Amino acid sequence: MSPGSRPWSGVQRSMSNWAKIRVATVFLLPAVLSVILLRLWPALLAIHTSLLAPRAISYSLENYIYIFTDPVFLNSVRVTLVFALIVNPLQVAIALGLAILMNNKLPMTGLWRSAVLLPVAIPQSVSAVIWAAAYRPDGLFNSLLQAVGIGPQRFVTSPDQALASIILVVSWIGVGYWMTMLMAGLQDIPKSLYEAATIDGANAWQRFRYVTLPQLRRPLTFVLVADTVANFLVFAPVSILTKGGPQGSTDLIMNQIYTNAFVNGDPGSAAAATVVLILLVLAIVLVQFRLMSDRSER
Amino acid sequence: MMENTTPRKALQMVVIAAVALMFLLPLYWLTISSLRPEEDIFRYLNPFGLWTVVPNRITFDNIVNLWSGAFSRAIVNSLVVSFVTVIVGLAVCAPAAFALAVISFPGRGIIFSAMIVSFLIPFDAIAVPLYSIMRGLNLQDTYVGLILPGVGNGLAVFLLRQFFQSIPKDLREAAMVDGMGWFQIFWRIYLPLSKPALISAGLIMFIFQWQAYLWPLLIAPSNDMKVAAVALAQFSTAYNVSFGLIFAGAMFLSLIPMLIFVCFQQYFTGSVAATGSKE
Repeated sequence: MSPGSRPWSGVQRSMSNWAKIRVATVFLLPAVLSVILLRLWPALLAIHTSLLAPRAISYSLENYIYIFTDPVFLNSVRVTLVFALIVNPLQVAIALGLAILMNNKLPMTGLWRSAVLLPVAIPQSVSAVIWAAAYRPDGLFNSLLQAVGIGPQRFVTSPDQALASIILVVSWIGVGYWMTMLMAGLQDIPKSLYEAATIDGANAWQRFRYVTLPQLRRPLTFVLVADTVANFLVFAPVSILTKGGPQGSTDLIMNQIYTNAFVNGDPGSAAAATVVLILLVLAIVLVQFRLMSDRSER
Repeated sequence: MMENTTPRKALQMVVIAAVALMFLLPLYWLTISSLRPEEDIFRYLNPFGLWTVVPNRITFDNIVNLWSGAFSRAIVNSLVVSFVTVIVGLAVCAPAAFALAVISFPGRGIIFSAMIVSFLIPFDAIAVPLYSIMRGLNLQDTYVGLILPGVGNGLAVFLLRQFFQSIPKDLREAAMVDGMGWFQIFWRIYLPLSKPALISAGLIMFIFQWQAYLWPLLIAPSNDMKVAAVALAQFSTAYNVSFGLIFAGAMFLSLIPMLIFVCFQQYFTGSVAATGSKE
């Protein structure tokens, strides 16, 4: 089509770049301001604060050196990593299993799907409050365990069980959301691929291994990354159920930052930990971009 | 093949139902507990029996007490913050998404990337430094302080931009020939066509605020400005707790988003699908 036959491109061209920039500025201004005020400024402030040691007037790395030699912070890093290594694969595996299980046209499935998704809608703090009551010595879970012949457990008050209890809560909250994302991915897989695999004699496991998994690469990568980021930021359940205890066994990094800033009154260390957390999250997200764009180039 | 599909389907249905009921169990327990008299809540749990799952006495006292106490103020705060966030948030995000999707100004790609990358810094991660900024601006214990973080939402901008891009160019070409300016095109053509995307974006912002815990805990500690999620959590860790009130409050805080969610589920799943698989 020749340019002259499109009246609009004439209009577009007749608008000078300056006019377009002016209009775009008006449209973009509130959003750009909110990005600067709500993301960049606090991030820069965190960097600034993190480089100022207590009572110092010049920048130094003292706060970073301090937190990385502080056994309490190191414990929190260790707990956060252990938590991430368990909770992320666990949630993605369950979400994938549920997505495959629920991806059918059987009666009532839509209803059950909503049931799994419901906890996502509830505020995390409210879920934590409900589960705190359920974890009580005389609460719902001990009653259920008793009914199947298992003695009472201590759950969030036991250093051995507290982290697992937190993992259970956040998984109950989050799995439905990731399941929904993966179901959208499953529905994008062409049916013909399954038919071809069946004709070639592939069994259910082989269809999953050689059709579903490779076809789901993109949504699975997205879910794994988004889930990882979300789980690095878990705060409300820890703050409400355990406050990081017992014996630091659930002291996830967000709880550590909060404690440093508002309980110990050590803003420098809190800011240094915040910067570490932001860098960690951004690194993970950038890896995701790499993984996802590799795929589209091929 | 054919003869074993029916039992297999039946088995699948049973498994699905069993899994879903496990997810529903805490919510069911929450519901019946909020309707029980205080002394019954933990009374019938052990040994597990009929009265564990069926309340033998039902009362609305917890709900009435909830509304007569300080908690009602917190619920009003939460509602105000969430609804105002949706309106202001759409007013901030929709024009930005429009400019990024439709106006081909120089530097658009850079602005878009810069915005997306900035929004990739999760809000909770910068909540503590943002708190010291807002305290410096005297925004502690104000609605503005509570609402502001919710109005700039990267996901909403992303979603709306994607939707605006799918609106055929011909429409705005015709409008331009008719002499419409950008503002009119935005207001009279793009917004009316974008209801589903606007609802999805609004939903994301509503849930962000209704969910918020760390930020309101920092910025609005006073009794008058406390939001419901924070009030409930503090309730539950107080020394002499009333579980009837806690369950009634948790019930109410869960019910509102669940209702909204059930009504708008298609928009929600639509937004999830859009961000998840078709980036």
